[in-house]
Amino acid sequence: MATSSSLTLSSATFSKLSPHPYLLANLQASDSSSPSARTNGRLPQQARQPYINTSSLSHAHGSAVVRTGDTTVICGVRGETLLTSAVPNYRAPDDSSGATLNEARDYDLLVPNIELATGCAPNFLPGVPPTTLAQTLSTRVYSLLHSSKLLNVSGLRIYQKDGSELSGRQRGNEAMEEDDEGDSTITERAVKAYWVLYIDVLFISFDGNPFDAAWAAILAALQDTKLPQAYWDPDREMVLCSPKKRLPLTLSGFPVATTAAVFTAKEKPKKGGGQYWILVDPDRLEEGLCDETVTIVVDCPKEGTKVLGISNHGGTVVGPVLMKELAKAAESRWNDFRKAVS
Amino acid sequence: MADRRRINGPIGATTPPVYEAVPKRPAAKQQPAMRKIFLKTGVTPSASGSAYLELENPNQTSPQKTSLKLACTVHGPRALPRSAPFSPHIILTTHVKYAPFATRKRHGYLRDSSERDLGVHLETALRGAIIADRWPKSGVDIIVTIIEGDQDRDAPHNEDDQGWDMMNVLSGCITVASAAIADAGIDCVDTVAGGVAALVSRDDAAQPVIVVDPVVAENQKIHAACCVAYLPTRDEVTNVWFKGQLPGADILLYNKMVEKSLIACRSANRVVIQGLNETVKNVQNTT
Repeated sequence: MATSSSLTLSSATFSKLSPHPYLLANLQASDSSSPSARTNGRLPQQARQPYINTSSLSHAHGSAVVRTGDTTVICGVRGETLLTSAVPNYRAPDDSSGATLNEARDYDLLVPNIELATGCAPNFLPGVPPTTLAQTLSTRVYSLLHSSKLLNVSGLRIYQKDGSELSGRQRGNEAMEEDDEGDSTITERAVKAYWVLYIDVLFISFDGNPFDAAWAAILAALQDTKLPQAYWDPDREMVLCSPKKRLPLTLSGFPVATTAAVFTAKEKPKKGGGQYWILVDPDRLEEGLCDETVTIVVDCPKEGTKVLGISNHGGTVVGPVLMKELAKAAESRWNDFRKAVS
Repeated sequence: MADRRRINGPIGATTPPVYEAVPKRPAAKQQPAMRKIFLKTGVTPSASGSAYLELENPNQTSPQKTSLKLACTVHGPRALPRSAPFSPHIILTTHVKYAPFATRKRHGYLRDSSERDLGVHLETALRGAIIADRWPKSGVDIIVTIIEGDQDRDAPHNEDDQGWDMMNVLSGCITVASAAIADAGIDCVDTVAGGVAALVSRDDAAQPVIVVDPVVAENQKIHAACCVAYLPTRDEVTNVWFKGQLPGADILLYNKMVEKSLIACRSANRVVIQGLNETVKNVQNTT
């Protein structure tokens, strides 16, 4: 290419040839006046600003598009009905003593899947089975959906049609029966079916930090989801939906995931030594160079911050002190997402 | 056997919601001659080339103003794996995949026959446009993700789906892939564009007429449809997909339909050219 400047490399070439020294050179500030910055120009603790757009799809019951930097994710939520007669080992939920029963988990009512094979990055091409990363992401999202108890299961239950909506003659009969047995309404309201939520996440563009973006998309899509009001019709023995009325799901809380990667100055660090940097919201280049990643899931209601989950993979750098620092970063990220949703 | 690499959901069968009464659809408005196309390149920065396409939805009753949404990424040209036999020209691989939430019926993650069909048609349409012998021993992957198909949300669910919407989807795939290939900088003889024409009748008594860019939801009955991939400056057709029955095996009518779809191709091509001009301008401004 260039003959005159053959001894110096352009920064793009440098980053391709030897990414680790390139990122290190960027982070190690040459003089004390300029703060150390990452290759993408962000400060180590600085995350990318999220942009969220909801209900842009017409065939899904709820949908969201989340973009953070160059990572773009689409999530579509679709409800389908599952009859309780089709559930093996079905037990009727009892709200008074239903502590042991977890319907969403036991009957598999939430089906999240994350698809990376859309050509969103050069190493994710279709035509092959889901990669390890895609499988891990799906499982992590699945377990977080259940462990955070985000969804209120009562909104997914489908009952028999209430007496008030039955025809006049039937109502008359029922009124007479009610005189005989006072609390017949409780047995009347047996759960006949459940909504199963198929939560499909598609990556349009992938530039690091897939979990945070995918989780934010799922959260925004679930907030946007409006299921049609459904009831069990005993005459036709099927679940029918009313075309007009749509009910939103009831969500408890607003958990937000924040991922940070640990970049060590030495490529193969020995235990307990060496310089390191905490990079919040890593991009694709940084993810490839960091062994240790931490994900914190927090919810910050007015009462105070709640930590819903911490996971730490690989490496030994992050200890309790750093974890506290990361929780602070997670709180500011929570505010970013909260603002982006509203 | 169940797919162990994905989360499959409950063992019992789930059914999509059934509505007690289908809401009355207001009478379809007079359709504009062509729906507006939105096209943007560079949606996936890490790919060699990418593009995104949306079609305007003239049916204002639905909450969204757009119907068809496609995202396309191009990866390559790159070296073939060592195990591959020698090839004197570029090897084109096309994948077309529906998102699970793209249509009224949920699509699975494994490719079904209609998706393979679309992939083969797309490959033939593009192969005629790419100058393949400039890249011996290399391959390029073209991936189109259908984020939303061209179906009416409020149509009755029991209505038999004859797959007419596939025609519109294919023409969109051809147009978006052409923009993404140009964005990737792969040499082409021309920018290929797709267009659809159909023979429809509003009701049973009416005489069938040919319409350009038919909205599947609106037309009462589609007799035949034809999707053409066309190179406007060279005046060449790279792919024709014709489906349906013509009354009385009229070859003139067939010719007319192809000509009408060429009109759709030309206007789609104008959108591609304009989109690419904007991309070039943006690149020049940033550097």
